Amino acid sequence: MASPAALRDLQRDLENKANDLSKLQKDISKNHQIRKKYTIQLGENELVLKELDLLNEDANVYKLIGPVLVKQDLAEARANVKKRIEYISDELKRLDITLQDLEEKQNSKKETILKLQQKIQSLQAGKGKA
Amino acid sequence: MEEQAKGTVTSLSSLFPAEEAQKASKRVQDTIADRQKQLDLLRDFAADNNNLINLVQRLPDQLHHDIMVPFGKAAFFPGRLIHTNEFLVLLGEGYYAERTSKQTTELLKRRGKDLESQVESVKAVIQDLKAEASFFDATASEAAEGLVEIREDYAEETSPEGPSTVGILKPELPISSEGDNAELAVENEEYARILSRIAELEKEEEEAENAELEKEEEEAEIDNKFNEELGKSGLDVSTGQHIRDQEINDSGVRGSSNLKERAASSRNRSIESFPEQLHVESSKSVTKDECLAGSLASDKSNVTENAPKQNRKEDTNVPMIAENKAFTGSIVERAGAFDIKPSEQTVGRSSKPVSRFKMQRK
Repeated sequence: MASPAALRDLQRDLENKANDLSKLQKDISKNHQIRKKYTIQLGENELVLKELDLLNEDANVYKLIGPVLVKQDLAEARANVKKRIEYISDELKRLDITLQDLEEKQNSKKETILKLQQKIQSLQAGKGKA
Repeated sequence: MEEQAKGTVTSLSSLFPAEEAQKASKRVQDTIADRQKQLDLLRDFAADNNNLINLVQRLPDQLHHDIMVPFGKAAFFPGRLIHTNEFLVLLGEGYYAERTSKQTTELLKRRGKDLESQVESVKAVIQDLKAEASFFDATASEAAEGLVEIREDYAEETSPEGPSTVGILKPELPISSEGDNAELAVENEEYARILSRIAELEKEEEEAENAELEKEEEEAEIDNKFNEELGKSGLDVSTGQHIRDQEINDSGVRGSSNLKERAASSRNRSIESFPEQLHVESSKSVTKDECLAGSLASDKSNVTENAPKQNRKEDTNVPMIAENKAFTGSIVERAGAFDIKPSEQTVGRSSKPVSRFKMQRK
């Protein structure tokens, strides 16, 4: 009989799609976490920059690199922090775009799954009648 | 009579099952708990910060302090703290700066302010979530009570106005010829008309309220249309009233063929014109209120849709939202008062004046 085979195919298809969807959702949640981390870092860096701007020009600034504190030039530190902020905001933008993309993919996947489910249901109903 | 044809009655529980609403409210409560934890953490930070400020302020009071120096995880040895006015402050991201006590205190105070603003924003979010939770709770309880939603198309609302004027005008002529009895009859008729009108308006009001309850499903577009229609119907009603007034006056003039009749009709008119004016005014004000309620409802739906976003951004909006909620809340309350047994009450209220009106027609 053709219909049981078709049904099995459809169900396998549905399973695959469901797996894809769950993978997508995992990606999205991971992306969200990364985004959160970056947002926190951005806030911290902005605070640092504010404090560095408030420092006197002759103040001693150190950077913790591994286990040692390395003395740094104030201007250099400021430039570094600014660069870091730029980098983080770029990264945030990039993440936003990928997130949007992923969400679109997720929605389309959901739709296809819904359609598949309906198809299977109608097939099953047809079989029940026959 | 007309209701069955015009309106549809759907129970709220079929739209929002009580369990679903409760589930939603539970989820919101969970979010509130999360936020509360966050708030507690932030408050801990703020308290730590304040303690640190005190310590930093006290340290340079003496040239040196005798302390226990931590050594490894579990060991301490006695030591002495010198250079009490030199601090190496972590600015974040691995950057340290050498600061004096005073400078450090200023820095810490700035941090404290930052923490405070964070606390405030989290508080605002919690408040908003609480409002949301109470809304879900209210929906759940209303669905459980069996509140019904009555819907009616507004396009039809203006058309029954025509026949009703004719129906009221018809008995006018025989009544005016009856002379002495006319006064009482007109009074009754007027009363019946006002009652039916009030019933209609109340129905409209209820609809506005129910629409508001339903706002989550209703899209903004529909809301807008609804408002427009409301506005239109309000206009139509008031102009209809004016026309009716004129017609009544005309018919009074036409109907008065002899003096006695004229006297009677003029008396009628004088009696009638007073409640009519009142009537027009009241209907106008009510429809205005409705428009307000409708627009508020749509406002509110927008607000709740955007609420989480808005709140995060601007705290100034919070009182405004609260105001709206308070207002619509009162409306919902009123709806609850009316709708203890909604289906019975609405039918009873509207059928009463209609039946009286019918009686007079015959």
